[in-house]
Amino acid sequence: MARISIKDLQKTFGAHRAVDGISLEIRDGEFLIIVGPSGCGKTTTLNMISGLERPTGGQIVIGDTLVNDLEPGERGLGMVFQDLALFPHMTVFENIAFGLRVKKMPDAEVRRRVAAAAAAVHIEALLEKFPRQCSGGESQRVALARTIVTDPSVFLMDEPLSSLDAKLRVDMRTELKSLHHRLGATFVYVTHDQAEAMTMADRIVVMSKGRIEQVGSPLDIYNRPATRFVAGFFGMPTMNFVEGAVVASGDRRSFRADDVEHPLPAAVPAALAGREAVLGVRSEHVLVGDGASLKGVAQLSEPLGDTTLVHFDIGKGRRLVAKVGPTAAIEPGEALTFQFAAEFCHLFDVHNGARLY
Amino acid sequence: MKTAASAMSPEQARVRRIRRERRNRIVRHAVLLAWTGFIAFPIYWMVMTSFKDSGEWVTWPPHWVPHAPTLHNYAQIFAFSSIDPSLSRQAAEQAFTIWKGLGDSLLVCTTAALLALLLGTFLAYSISRFNVGGKYFRHTILTIRMIPPIVIAISILIYYAILIPYATGAVFGARISMFDTYIGLILIYTVTTLPFVIWMMLTFIDEVPYTLEHAARLMGAGRFTVIRRVVLPLVASGMVVTFLFVFILNWAEFLLALTLTHPEVTTLTVLLNKFQSASEGRLYGPQAAIGTMITIPVVVLGILIQKHLVKGFSFGTIRR
Repeated sequence: MARISIKDLQKTFGAHRAVDGISLEIRDGEFLIIVGPSGCGKTTTLNMISGLERPTGGQIVIGDTLVNDLEPGERGLGMVFQDLALFPHMTVFENIAFGLRVKKMPDAEVRRRVAAAAAAVHIEALLEKFPRQCSGGESQRVALARTIVTDPSVFLMDEPLSSLDAKLRVDMRTELKSLHHRLGATFVYVTHDQAEAMTMADRIVVMSKGRIEQVGSPLDIYNRPATRFVAGFFGMPTMNFVEGAVVASGDRRSFRADDVEHPLPAAVPAALAGREAVLGVRSEHVLVGDGASLKGVAQLSEPLGDTTLVHFDIGKGRRLVAKVGPTAAIEPGEALTFQFAAEFCHLFDVHNGARLY
Repeated sequence: MKTAASAMSPEQARVRRIRRERRNRIVRHAVLLAWTGFIAFPIYWMVMTSFKDSGEWVTWPPHWVPHAPTLHNYAQIFAFSSIDPSLSRQAAEQAFTIWKGLGDSLLVCTTAALLALLLGTFLAYSISRFNVGGKYFRHTILTIRMIPPIVIAISILIYYAILIPYATGAVFGARISMFDTYIGLILIYTVTTLPFVIWMMLTFIDEVPYTLEHAARLMGAGRFTVIRRVVLPLVASGMVVTFLFVFILNWAEFLLALTLTHPEVTTLTVLLNKFQSASEGRLYGPQAAIGTMITIPVVVLGILIQKHLVKGFSFGTIRR
């Protein structure tokens, strides 16, 4: 069983609370990605699961064993590091075999298992080479093979793709996901790249300042962000935010920010009326032109090929971004009209960023 | 206001700069050459003297090269030929001790350097990885080397020759002296060179990324296996450099060996001194021959170190 249960986990470095009491259930066989900006405590959390860091407080249970006091090697985990950590003085074969040699496995068995692990990530031809002779992608595979070979029930990965170039990174994402399917093991993966998290994860844990902001499936997190932080962290370009207040007239509710007023869906609770709030709308839900009533002035247009991003000003220095069709020709300085797709509007608390609707 | 430089045409300025650079280069090389001559002259004189017969040792005007080169001095210090009947008994006995001096020096210097390397490597590891002693400990260690050996020589002598025999006599009933023993000299050499070993090994161990050790530990390797299989192989060339460096320090050490031994343990540097103060006049020839023999290993090791230093310091080849 490779279920990991984390209860009230804490880690402090001096006065700095790197991980501030998080609780999390990681299911057997799932691909869980912990994502957040640098310094949010995600790597520290991973290191505590692996045993490289000792928790200041809380519990980590892997399977049915409390592992707080177990050595890293006794936890039955495999880990791929950000810098890969291949041993430069050993051949690829010896790198992969290291974990088996440490366990004093017979030579024939070592050969058989190294060959199998190398085949799993297609690096049979590299076995006699040294890490310095391998390309970035090859080194990546060697690091994976070295982890696979010990047959761990849990794989921990600390930004393993960050050293690769953009194209290779996308290829490796696909490969990691299929590897996860084949092995059926639990993957716990740390990254600051929201695109990696969206594409690979079964579930995503979003962390900020040592705390968990939200846990959920990628689409859950994208469509119903629990906080303003999560809403802003996911999605390219960043979600548009407008500060203002919820106003009610009759049984209709709308959002007002100075001169801008926009209707909200009927499902917005009446209790929110009169409350200050932040309206969040993704760029693809900002509809430009055709019957829209709100006015703006285009500032910049960024063609991406399949879509075009239009940055426009709505007065008082407030800027919004809209995703429009690739054929829409909007020149900087041009006046435009827009509206929001009301059913995709999010409301967040002005102060703590919690989701209101 | 225009400055002199801006008043010059670019061409003039260029010519001036080239001239100045050339002049600087000539001055620099002249100074370096003069200094090299100053440093190398005693060595040159020693080597020349070692090939001179007794009549040529002291002459005026000096013989810059031996007029009648001879291997007599070498034959004498290695006792290849029968002893020169013209030498007194005492001088002849001294002439025989080159082998003993060589053996003692090799034994003491090698053992002390290995011991210091072993201790220093593990100490450096703990300082690098566990921050033993705090942030500034690595610098504090080096200050130990600021104490001149003469300051500790006498107090160590008192320890070795009086306090330790007295203490062991009182506790165990047998007086054990550290004075004039191999262990005594090896220990003091180990202690005096340890700061260098720690300092040098720190620079090498600091270069080994933490994550390599983390990776090994996650694969089930214990601390000791990690050090043996991952850290030590990666700092091996650094260890060779450090060993050679410390060996040379020990090999050339004179003051502590002179103070803490006599007559049993005789290192080469102490032996050399005995020739100088021999009551039978000064045997410049054999002395120069021994001096040359002492210098050869240092030169050879120096060349070896140079080769390894390149490898040792181009250590950043580890993929990060």
